[in-house]
Amino acid sequence: MHSLKKSLFGSFLLLMLLILGACGSGEEANDADAKSGGSGGSGGEVTIGYSGPLSGPAASYGEETLKGLKIAVEDINEAGGFEVDGKTYTYKLETIDDKYLPNETAANAKRLVQEEKAKFIYSPHSGGIYAMQVFNEMEDFIIMGYTSEPGVTDQGNKLNVRIPPRYDQYLEPFTEYEMEKFGKKIAFLPTASQYGKDWAEMLKPVWEEKGGEVVFNESIDFSKDTDFQTIVANALEEKPDVLFIGGPSEPTALVAKQARDLGFEGGFLIMDQAKLDEMAAVLGGNYDMLEGAISTTPLIHTEFPGTEAYIKKYKENNDRDPSAESAFHYVSLYVLTEAMKAAGSVDDTKAIMAAFDEGAKNLPEDKQVYMIPEVGEDGGFGSMLRIAYVENGEIQVMEK
Amino acid sequence: MELFLQQVFNGLTLGSVYTLVAIGLTLVFGILHIPNFAHGALYLIGGYVTLVVMQSTGVHYFIAILASILVVAALGVLMERLVFNPLRNSPPIHDKIAAIGLVLFFEALVQLIWGTEYQRMITPFDNNISIAGVSMTSQRILVIVVAVVTVFLLTLFLKKTMIGASIMAMAQNREGAFLVGINANAVAMMTFAISGALAALAASLASPINLVFPAMGHLVILKAFVVVIIGGMGSIPGAIVAGLLLGMTESMGATYISNDYKDMIAFLLLIVIMTVRPKGLFAKGVY
Repeated sequence: MHSLKKSLFGSFLLLMLLILGACGSGEEANDADAKSGGSGGSGGEVTIGYSGPLSGPAASYGEETLKGLKIAVEDINEAGGFEVDGKTYTYKLETIDDKYLPNETAANAKRLVQEEKAKFIYSPHSGGIYAMQVFNEMEDFIIMGYTSEPGVTDQGNKLNVRIPPRYDQYLEPFTEYEMEKFGKKIAFLPTASQYGKDWAEMLKPVWEEKGGEVVFNESIDFSKDTDFQTIVANALEEKPDVLFIGGPSEPTALVAKQARDLGFEGGFLIMDQAKLDEMAAVLGGNYDMLEGAISTTPLIHTEFPGTEAYIKKYKENNDRDPSAESAFHYVSLYVLTEAMKAAGSVDDTKAIMAAFDEGAKNLPEDKQVYMIPEVGEDGGFGSMLRIAYVENGEIQVMEK
Repeated sequence: MELFLQQVFNGLTLGSVYTLVAIGLTLVFGILHIPNFAHGALYLIGGYVTLVVMQSTGVHYFIAILASILVVAALGVLMERLVFNPLRNSPPIHDKIAAIGLVLFFEALVQLIWGTEYQRMITPFDNNISIAGVSMTSQRILVIVVAVVTVFLLTLFLKKTMIGASIMAMAQNREGAFLVGINANAVAMMTFAISGALAALAASLASPINLVFPAMGHLVILKAFVVVIIGGMGSIPGAIVAGLLLGMTESMGATYISNDYKDMIAFLLLIVIMTVRPKGLFAKGVY
């Protein structure tokens, strides 16, 4: 027994040494790269940090956001990098798993800043973004936040970017459509995350102002529950005309399915986190069960100059359609690149922030998977309202 | 009244799955004398194997379940042979660390092989039935029926056969079992195989209602731990009663008190039972 322990300990030490060795040599190689690059008119590497859920119940979402970023980094590096102030740079992507936990995001961000000297850190959830906002101005890095939560740009943080459109602009059109089509009684069954609760809180006054009534208001914790029959049955007991649902696409689709199983015939008002096409994919590949649902337009039904090329590129490595998350991440890195070019610097965060609007306007047409008409003073990307609904089993895009 | 019946039915479905998972957990507790954290990984792999077998070969759902049961039972045996058996004389903390290591390993492995996407298992039992105002799918009825039959057969096996009796003997008193000539290795492997088979069965039954994804093991194993503790560590009747109790508490609590507090109610139940009976409802006080 003793010898076994000894040998185990020995092999453990060996393993650690190996890992350390690998790390050491890796760093040396990078240094050498940077040095030799510096002399030849090249500026070296710009580190893009990423902290998001890569394991746990939200792993699927995290992976999807990361895919867009990876494709963009590959594209830019393969094209020979980008030129800022006469020097050519390439990107290096550093990713760390934060399991969707804000405290982990904060710790990861510190690591990325200290170890990798990252000036730009992506995170795809509002909790993590809020956690980084506490110290990002002090540590001098730009948060590339993927959340539609309007609150993140209302904090007055000077180094904060919000990539997707804010969700509060969906409230009125969604409400008008569902109320007119199905009726005034709505049951709330959103995801139990902070984002879901905020969404619900903002939707409630809008729905009530238009003469509607919220007959049921509870939330579903997708990180704890997998069967929603109980809560859905309780909600339907109040005879709602419309269900407000949302969360990750696939479990949200199950909520819709279980409502239909229990005899619900009304409409669905769906939070922007869930995507209609991804929901349909787990519901037998068609929109029958989602009749009368309203949500954001899926990427595959979007027609911007660069959308088709992006979908094709994504499908080379994945056997499914890309989602809006991946596409927005893709576009955002190009906007960031253009902003650096306009600012003439890869590390002056204030100048880069100020150049974001110009960066969005300089976005090459073939990269416009989404059109970003402007970037606001608060760092929020302006985008067009993209709304879709399901009628007669098909997706219809609402003209706005 | 209709709502009440509906929620009784929902509680039964939930409880059936919890019970199946918890029985596997409680059986292995008899051998390891620690809760096997890696049980959730077996559940996870059970779900994926059924799904993959169905998707790749197109065989019937039941055949896929059978394949999954065999694979996961074998995996359980391997776990015992390669990990827990070599650790049998070391302090219990080593078993615990090994079990946690196994969970992390298997979750990462599943994520690597099959990706992080949520997948849906589509079975021939997706049709809706309505009895006395209670809406259900055949799949949910299947969950309950199979759980009842399995528990019945397992009880018969443990009570009426020699192998079953030796498993029980081992759980009650390891040294005593050795003295009467029970082959400890064979019994340990057998127990892990049954435990794995139950996990695979539960996962295959529940997956069409839920979804198949890398974190599915986590969610159910947490509940199964609560069930095992309420029922009494190592007690099979305890696991059955507590499983149904937890399922019912969740559905009734969500209905008549609040969905947001249903977990709180379940854990309150745990605290009350632990206070009144610190070893669980059916603990035999063996350990």
